[in-house]
Amino acid sequence: MIRRDFLKVASTAVGAVTLAPWVIEREAAAAAEVDAVKSAFAEAALTRAKVLGASYADIRINRYRSETIFTRERQVQNVARNQDFGFGVRVLVNGTWGFAASSLVTADEIRRVTTVAVDIARANSRFQRKRVRLAPVEPAVASWKSAFEKDPFDVPLDDKIQFLLAINDTALKTSGVSFVNSSMRWVNEQRFLATSEGSRIEQYLIRGDPQFNVTAVSRATGDFQTRRSLRGPQARGYEYVERFPWQADAQQAAEEAVAKLNAKSVEPGRYDLVIHPTNLWLTIHESAGHSTELDRALWWEADYAGTSFLTPDKAGKLRFGSPLVNIVADRMQPTALATVAYDDDGVPAQRWYLVKDGIFVDWQTSRELAPLIDRAKSYGCTNADSWRSVPFARMPNVSLEPGAQDASLDDLVADVERGILVYGDGSWSIDQQRYNFQFGGQTFWEISKGKIAGMLRDVAYQSRSTDFWGACDGLGGRSTYELNGSFVDGKGEPGQIGVVSHGCPVARFRQINVLNTSVSMT
Amino acid sequence: MLTEADARTITNKLLGYVTADDAVVFIESEDYSHLRFAANTFLTSGRREGATARVTLWIDKRRGSASTTDLSDAALKQAVADAQTFAKLAPVDVEYLPSLMQQTYRPGQGWVDATARIDLSVRARQIGDAIAQSEKAKVIGAGFHQVGLLAHASATAHGNFHYERGSIASLGMTARTPDGAGSGYFARNHYDVARLDTGRIARESIRRASESKGARMLPAGSYPVILEAQAVADLLDSGGMSFDARNADEGRSVFSLPGGATRVGTPLFDPRINILSDPWRPQLATFIASEEGVPARAMHLVRNGVVESLRYSRFWAQQKSQQPSGPLALVMEPSTPGVSVEDMIKTATRALLVSRFFYIRNVDPRSASVTGLTRDGVWYIENGEIKYPVRNFRFNQSIVLMLGPGNVDAIGVPERVASSEGGVEPVLVPALRLNSFNFTSQSDAI
Repeated sequence: MIRRDFLKVASTAVGAVTLAPWVIEREAAAAAEVDAVKSAFAEAALTRAKVLGASYADIRINRYRSETIFTRERQVQNVARNQDFGFGVRVLVNGTWGFAASSLVTADEIRRVTTVAVDIARANSRFQRKRVRLAPVEPAVASWKSAFEKDPFDVPLDDKIQFLLAINDTALKTSGVSFVNSSMRWVNEQRFLATSEGSRIEQYLIRGDPQFNVTAVSRATGDFQTRRSLRGPQARGYEYVERFPWQADAQQAAEEAVAKLNAKSVEPGRYDLVIHPTNLWLTIHESAGHSTELDRALWWEADYAGTSFLTPDKAGKLRFGSPLVNIVADRMQPTALATVAYDDDGVPAQRWYLVKDGIFVDWQTSRELAPLIDRAKSYGCTNADSWRSVPFARMPNVSLEPGAQDASLDDLVADVERGILVYGDGSWSIDQQRYNFQFGGQTFWEISKGKIAGMLRDVAYQSRSTDFWGACDGLGGRSTYELNGSFVDGKGEPGQIGVVSHGCPVARFRQINVLNTSVSMT
Repeated sequence: MLTEADARTITNKLLGYVTADDAVVFIESEDYSHLRFAANTFLTSGRREGATARVTLWIDKRRGSASTTDLSDAALKQAVADAQTFAKLAPVDVEYLPSLMQQTYRPGQGWVDATARIDLSVRARQIGDAIAQSEKAKVIGAGFHQVGLLAHASATAHGNFHYERGSIASLGMTARTPDGAGSGYFARNHYDVARLDTGRIARESIRRASESKGARMLPAGSYPVILEAQAVADLLDSGGMSFDARNADEGRSVFSLPGGATRVGTPLFDPRINILSDPWRPQLATFIASEEGVPARAMHLVRNGVVESLRYSRFWAQQKSQQPSGPLALVMEPSTPGVSVEDMIKTATRALLVSRFFYIRNVDPRSASVTGLTRDGVWYIENGEIKYPVRNFRFNQSIVLMLGPGNVDAIGVPERVASSEGGVEPVLVPALRLNSFNFTSQSDAI
């Protein structure tokens, strides 16, 4: 168990809530007026739900702030700040869920909306086949702040604009670059959860997503190629912008976008792949992250996101990958996007193995899911993307552990006779049971006799999840480990957006099928 | 949900707080409810109500934007103040165009009161019936019923105001055989809840599950296919083929040509294919104005196979002396009478019948090539008959070449469907029989 020194947990008794520190600004001042009565609002909702017959109820009163800046070439396209505030009440009546939400946060509205939630649950319960049971959890009273250093909402706007325009300028200085788009998005979530079981939890999270995309167009041939920034969003503050060498990546991206126009088109076939963490994170997400979601395995996502090739009987038995492969779920990893102190069921953040020594060993669970496989407690994977959304099972950070030896990227390349080195995430697609996937990338480099031999283009690798992970025969060490992730992981009906990180080292996979994706229009 | 009078009051307030040179304000208000079921039991059900006010303004052509879900006077003032603060700090917006003066709008038709009045107990019973049908057929049902009521209002500092509202009711259902060997999907939506046949949706998904059981694995390769309207909608909504004029002019689109020209005027598609935007089609009846108030236009993008026009933002339209396009309401229709799927099957020598695609992503934007997978029902057809179900495939396919001259064998009657990955935005598209579709690998998924 990793030490959670950033987490401050009070006693389990219901009491006054320690509010998260606020940045001093106008929105915070306005929000503070609501915070003062938030606990009272919560009591009103939970009491009303109980009076109306709910066996369980919770209320989330959440504020989301976001700031986005979009630029292209030497102009700013838009600067926007958004405030999103409201509450959602969830109730269990006769073992059936009901939920209602509103952006009008007043005592009267909270009482009305709680009644709506109960009415929905009661109307549906007449036709309900299986009653919901929740795994028990100790009530918690806590306040928590994510691991950011410099609140991006305190950074002057001009600094952010100049940062993005400098990226564009860097890229545009490279001959052959035609266009560049850059943007940054910052999100602050201020979550408050109160449950009928006594939990009162405040959480304050900061996440950021700076990115850019460089395009080189050859007017003569009609060809165009792009190269996106390699790093993904993280749960960091503005220090993420200041510490990572974004300008150097912009320079490299510009050169690589232009070089792709004249790069050798790949010959399809089987290759050994050395995959950089900037690409492999997405393969982990799709093949290991989603396949180990228990709600998928129970066919709860059958109508949209899909089911899973993993079924409840396979836990502890199925060989998922080679013995090198250890995949861990972790909602406590600092700077990772799905890291919280508590989930939206009030369950504390945890870390556990999904794949151990290549064997699939465990699931992602929630309070509702855990009892269905006879588990006494939840792993705390419940999340809602908004006050207006129903909490349900979402992916924790899912990461591939680095190898025991501190192998470098060069070490892995050195043992490849004919292969391809892959950087950056590109096109991605996987079937609804997470068997067959196809992934692109940003740049591809031919490996010949243990050396990088030049750039390739039009590459996608296609495999079957267990075949792919079974072909893993080399892992980089801790020094190659990186955290990447997504701001836009879709799941559920109504669709919700998840944020999730995936850490991994550079890794090598033997004899993977590679496609040439180019199609001639003539 | 906000009425027109409510919306006008709020937009007037917002514009009244603005001291900038120009502004556009937009209000979106919703009343949305859903019921989700799976494993033959109800999962979640809920209702959300709320509104978002967004203000975009310019000071000396410098642009700032802010939004809020709090419609109190103080919050609206704060949003305007934030936007003005950002505008003062931002560089000059070189794409600034003065906000719209009063526009003329041809009214839309996408609102039905009955959809707004749907009764909770009626919906619960309908879904209860779908589950009962599943149990009787010995399949496992999962699905999603939703009702959305949406109101949009936009107003500008130059005097434009527009309000419209839309309703939609939708049900999608996936049935699976308990052994996991068969899976079927069917979904429909309509702005009039009375036109949503929930019983048919349940029956179709259950039938498809039963009839897809025991699928055979065929080798990957190029096959003639019959794509049901759902599969066509899934492909067209994937973003693989954008008609954006600016991208084409900038040389970064399938509609770009070497030397800087575009493919406008080129017979790129089968001569029977027409692709349009028309929100006034009675079967579609979608929103008729963009967020900034640009009225929709009924326009051909492709007429008789020839690329007739691309889609223009306000700025790019001004640069290229074109009309801005407004919101897209996608229609694909044949110039010739449509052929039913049943007739396509009867007259096919050999083909694969595809009901749905999944996880479609762009692979090569130069050719509008996408990858993805079949899902929830593929069948092998020989000599006019469905012979047996087939396991799923991954495909890699250019959408443009798929619709190109020589590859389109038959075109169906357009149906109102929505992408199974893209929400409830309806499109009006036909089934297609194609001479060739490129399946590149087998998938174990069912």
